[in-house]
Amino acid sequence: MLGRLLQLGYVFALVAATTPGSAPVLELKPPRGIDFTLQNSPTPQKYLIETMPGGVALLDYNNDGLLDVFLVNGGHVSSPMPVPDNFDRHDPRYWNRLYRQNKDGSFTDVTEQAGLANAGDGNYGIGVAVGDYDNDGYPDLYVTSYGKNILYHNNGDGTFTDVTAKAGVAAGGWSVSAGFFDYDNDGKLDLFVTRYMEWDTQHSKDCGGNFHTYCPPGEFPRTTNILYHNRGDGTFEDVSERSGIAAKKGHGLGVAFADYDGDGFTDIYVANDGMQQYLFHNNGNGTFKEVGMEAGAALNVDGGPLSGMGVVFQDYDNDGRPDVIVTTLPRQTYAVFHNDGQGSFSDRGLQTGITMLSGVTSGWGVGLEDFDNDGQKDLFVAQGHVLDNVEKIDPSLHYLEPTLLAFNHGGRFEPADPGTDALVAARGTAFGDINNDGSIDVVTTVLGGHPQVFMNRGGSAHWLTISLRGTRSNRDGLGARVLVNGQSRFATTAGSYASANDKRVHFGLGSAKSAKVEVFWPSGTHQTINDVTADQFLEVREPEHP
Amino acid sequence: MIRAGRICKSTIRTFVLLGLTCPFTMAAQTISPAATEHLKAARGAEAQKQFDVAVREYRKVTEIEPAFAGGFVSLGQASMEQHDFAGAVAPLKHALELDSNLVPAHQLLGYALLAQGYAAEAIPHLEQAHEQNALGIAQVETGQFAEAITNLQAALRKRPNDPDLLYYLGRASGLLSKQSIDTLQALYPDSARASQSMAENYFVLRQMDQAQKQYEQALKARPDTPNLHLELGQVFAMTSRWPQAEEQFRAEVKLQPGNAEAAYRLGDALLHQGKAREARTELERSDKLQPQMPETLYSLGKAALLDGDAATAGKAWRNLLSVEKEGELAAQTHFALAGLYRKQGKMPEADLEMKEFQKLQNATSQSPASPPQ
Repeated sequence: MLGRLLQLGYVFALVAATTPGSAPVLELKPPRGIDFTLQNSPTPQKYLIETMPGGVALLDYNNDGLLDVFLVNGGHVSSPMPVPDNFDRHDPRYWNRLYRQNKDGSFTDVTEQAGLANAGDGNYGIGVAVGDYDNDGYPDLYVTSYGKNILYHNNGDGTFTDVTAKAGVAAGGWSVSAGFFDYDNDGKLDLFVTRYMEWDTQHSKDCGGNFHTYCPPGEFPRTTNILYHNRGDGTFEDVSERSGIAAKKGHGLGVAFADYDGDGFTDIYVANDGMQQYLFHNNGNGTFKEVGMEAGAALNVDGGPLSGMGVVFQDYDNDGRPDVIVTTLPRQTYAVFHNDGQGSFSDRGLQTGITMLSGVTSGWGVGLEDFDNDGQKDLFVAQGHVLDNVEKIDPSLHYLEPTLLAFNHGGRFEPADPGTDALVAARGTAFGDINNDGSIDVVTTVLGGHPQVFMNRGGSAHWLTISLRGTRSNRDGLGARVLVNGQSRFATTAGSYASANDKRVHFGLGSAKSAKVEVFWPSGTHQTINDVTADQFLEVREPEHP
Repeated sequence: MIRAGRICKSTIRTFVLLGLTCPFTMAAQTISPAATEHLKAARGAEAQKQFDVAVREYRKVTEIEPAFAGGFVSLGQASMEQHDFAGAVAPLKHALELDSNLVPAHQLLGYALLAQGYAAEAIPHLEQAHEQNALGIAQVETGQFAEAITNLQAALRKRPNDPDLLYYLGRASGLLSKQSIDTLQALYPDSARASQSMAENYFVLRQMDQAQKQYEQALKARPDTPNLHLELGQVFAMTSRWPQAEEQFRAEVKLQPGNAEAAYRLGDALLHQGKAREARTELERSDKLQPQMPETLYSLGKAALLDGDAATAGKAWRNLLSVEKEGELAAQTHFALAGLYRKQGKMPEADLEMKEFQKLQNATSQSPASPPQ
């Protein structure tokens, strides 16, 4: 490894050496049975979609207690593309894939039997969201695309049904990330979809001179994000206009949810590419107001725009308020918007050390998870430049990049060994406890390659993983704020880039063998459970009466 | 040997035509009535910009009065006025055969030759005519860069901010610089300075690995060379290796404690690592060494704020805005002040700063100099 480090120079200078004798917390471990290849199909035409997939979801689709993996595929891109678009998604090489986890930790491809084969020839797959929109106890899938998005209803018998038409959530255009959340606290999960730009294969551009290269987003018109309200009868209503969401056009990529001002309503943060970021404040009456600029969460510390790609909206410093981290392109550094309270954020890139960790890298999927269970959320970023020939433009940058893992030491992030020195063009990332050992594992997607599965070796520190069971709130309690021993976490499957995380809420407890658990449910109910024993999977059921 | 062959010929021609703004006036001389008639006709045609007619009439003057040098000069000038530089050479040379001290003939011949790319031949004539502007250009063409710079600077003193002269002066300076470096690398390929110059080239090309190697080689050969650590530090900074950058800037500061840029760079490297107190010390030192540098003041404000001293941060930024009212750094400073005031609960002040920020941002984005998004 040392020779490789020297050979690759500064890129690896960001990856701290592991203390001699100690194994890295994460270990890159290809699990048996996952043979997926993300077919992004790069062409000389440099269609921008080629560099943007794909999402990954960690969900327990069959409720057997084991996380399964859903991977979004791109599609076949012809050079040039025919009219109408045809991405050959009927070809099994371009299918999205669902892998069911077996009891021995291996996986079985159940795509076909689950009814998830062939995502439509006109769709180029990008991302995925997970949520139980009908509160039947089984997680449903929403797949975003360039083309039409697809809502797969989980039938509860190991199969899914495409209910897009009935539900009315096809969207159209170019969708990237999506997330289920309950914006009006009516107990039914609504759906937010980011859209990147007004673009199609017949109006693509090549921004190269002597060579072909992908164009920056500013070359194409901005577009609107979409908010779907769940009517509760299996259908959704597009309330983008009425809610105020459509009033702000952008270049939306990532999306994350949290109630940043503690008013009991879930707010939305959208990572926009090459412009200001959007923070949609939930007014609590079905409408939103974009307040990114006035809240200090729209631009970087120098007032510059950000190439926002992935985003996480969680509390990194355990002050009880959710903060925002946005991954970006090199020379911008990832933005850290610390929630100062009273609806105001401040850039903490320098204080947290994240500025130093992200000067020459491009971040996509991102998570704040407590990998070492010490009670502080650590940072994981999947990296890789957007341009597959960036070296021709700037030899000091690289298309293939290392993975970033940084441990949180009292609000300061220090680089750590991510368990691999592989250089990849990583994109989507999902977090969850795959082997139910109380430690958070990670799955990332890689353009043109196999997904990376980072298994957590675990340790001696204690932990607590909570499954929320909403009764008056939505069934999975998405949108709840959970406090454990002074830490806070917002229950969500959204965040990262184009991906969906394990819905369970995980806390590292350090040396504490018990915990006080408080849940602030979306319904308004505040529930406290004292003396919870550590190192267990705890289901917390929302009281049916306040 | 550096050649200036890529210098745009059309620019030279433009410049030559500009050189004709003081037309040659013939000295009074007795000529025959017939020649006088043609001379009058030629001047009339010139006044009406009928240069082909003027050429024809001047030619008749020279045929009637073959010993009249002024007639040949006028013929040459009229030819040049209709962009016939080749046609101008013969009559101008003939004029000089008749009178070798005829300054206008030297001037015009120098221009005519230069316009056709005969820079070496043009030089003696331009020297005779003391035409420093065209002489400088000719010397750029012939690789006499040091002489060219002297003449172009003199010409610029007479015609300040002339775009053509500024262009050629910049060109000559760049070529002289390259010539010096080429000589250095040819004569002393293993020297510290040769490595340094190579490293600088790699840095510009963003080939940071090679730049680092060359700087390290230079430092090995002559560790006490001023600016080597500073430049190597910038390679590390460019690639976000801030601890290594700090190390190099510290070494430079040790070598050159009076160098404000070294102190600034060290402060900035410390700031990027979140070492607020140390960064502030270095930035304050830089500010003392070279006061009112906008970059230093901006970073000083950030360091002070990071260190919890909002008052000093505000002071540094307001100070910056007193010296830099426009541009990107001014915009950034308004943005920073807006954030500062917002945290202090001074909302009217914060709003005002945001307005200024947005105004400057809009101005920058509308500037033709800014690249497309």
